[in-house]
Amino acid sequence: MRDLVLMWRNTRMVVLCAISGALYAAVLVPFKVVPLIPGVTELRPANAIPVVCSFLFGPAAAWGTAIGNVIGDFFGGVGPGDIFGFLANLAYGYVPYKVWNALAGGRNPIARSPLSIGCYVTACLLASMQCADIVGWGENLLALRPFSVMGNVIVFNNLLASLALAPFLLYAIYPRVCRGRMLYQDMMPELRAMPRAVQLAGLALLAFGVFGAWVAGNLVSTGYWEPAFLPLRMVQAPYDGAVAVVVSPFILVSALGLGLM
Amino acid sequence: MPIYLYLDRETFLHRLNPSVKVFALFVMFWSVYWVDQPLALVPLGVLLVAAAEFTDSWPNFWRLRWLFALVILFTTLAWMVFYRRGPAVANLGIIHLSHASLLFGFGRGLKLAELLATSVLFLSVTKVEELTEGLTKLGVPYRAGFAIMLAFRLAPLFIDSAVTVAQAQRLRGYQFDRGGPLERIRRYVPVMIPVFMGALRKANNMAVALETRGFGRNARPTSLAEYPTRWPDVAACVVLAGLAAGYFLIYYAGYGAIAAN
Repeated sequence: MRDLVLMWRNTRMVVLCAISGALYAAVLVPFKVVPLIPGVTELRPANAIPVVCSFLFGPAAAWGTAIGNVIGDFFGGVGPGDIFGFLANLAYGYVPYKVWNALAGGRNPIARSPLSIGCYVTACLLASMQCADIVGWGENLLALRPFSVMGNVIVFNNLLASLALAPFLLYAIYPRVCRGRMLYQDMMPELRAMPRAVQLAGLALLAFGVFGAWVAGNLVSTGYWEPAFLPLRMVQAPYDGAVAVVVSPFILVSALGLGLM
Repeated sequence: MPIYLYLDRETFLHRLNPSVKVFALFVMFWSVYWVDQPLALVPLGVLLVAAAEFTDSWPNFWRLRWLFALVILFTTLAWMVFYRRGPAVANLGIIHLSHASLLFGFGRGLKLAELLATSVLFLSVTKVEELTEGLTKLGVPYRAGFAIMLAFRLAPLFIDSAVTVAQAQRLRGYQFDRGGPLERIRRYVPVMIPVFMGALRKANNMAVALETRGFGRNARPTSLAEYPTRWPDVAACVVLAGLAAGYFLIYYAGYGAIAAN
């Protein structure tokens, strides 16, 4: 995750971070008035922007997504859960290009080969689930909203935007940005990728953590799984203690995996 | 939906030091977090209403009145599905209508509504530059604070730009309202592309302009606007610390909890 720190030294990356955040917020805020589940989430076509920006601007897009989400949250109500929203969106902007690099290396993300499409779908799926896991885990930890509501609505929302909208935007924008030499690789040539074996190990940990957190979070927060090793007072609604104990290790594993990539 | 909620008034809250305003935001989160009982949340609600009246922020609250109502209603319903505690009063399918679940759900709804009210109030009395200054004083790195401010500033420009492009496309006969919901959203992709490319064109010039003004230097930059700490800021901090301590004591004494049965 060195790139997340290094990018702040580069003025162009700072500007691209602000632009990513502003673009995200600019689409996010008008759709605040179209709630899917009022008070929980709204229709978010804006969720296509972080994926597109991630492939273009890498770490700048990750921070930009987190900032854009904060701006959007100010218009739907900020709260302690927004700390998790910030981290979740940071991951949502960070995971796609990291997973793409681990799976497809330096390949062009707009190539239409089955392999590229598979890598793209994997990157979007892991990013969407990582984002949903962090928000669902955090909000259930604070007992504000159940994991099973947030975790599933966010996966649906993110996947819909990243699979149905983002490819069109990416297909139109990527070649232009590439020609203008404004990709993050052009801006920060000093960035060095980890050895491929380490990247793949990181990817495996990320996938294990992300899927594990999602499954465990859903089972525990709906009461379908009552872990026998937990005291009885923890295994009852709102399941904040149970979610903390069961889901947190998976979240840590996914963060470790991301760090290795 | 407007992206700026700031209302230019000459009130005590408007004149507070930005760091104190950010601290007040934190104290509200803290206080709301510790209590579940709706009755215990009432004093905070009264405080927010008084602050809204004092700062003449009602236009912003009125604009978001439906959001407040929906947040409370849907959060109450969501928790009545998952918080299945206490004897059921009526059988409503997946909704567990009991005294405990109703009280718990309504308490959560009220909590989220108060968090929303806090953010509306905060934005009504705080300029974007003040928010950045407050965050920087509280330890957020200057470059990150700058990116947040720039994103806040750019978002409305991008919205305006998107509206202009959409109008131009309409004049050429392009129909945005054809097809199902997904198709309609997809029809906005041609609007996003010029906005995106326009933003990227600005990025390079913006970076050059920033560096010529010394943005790349490591020294701590000075600010045109100064925000000295005055005695009302100190008094506000003392009152806020008292409020935070008071709410923790309510939790500690057990008055903020809801009896499950």
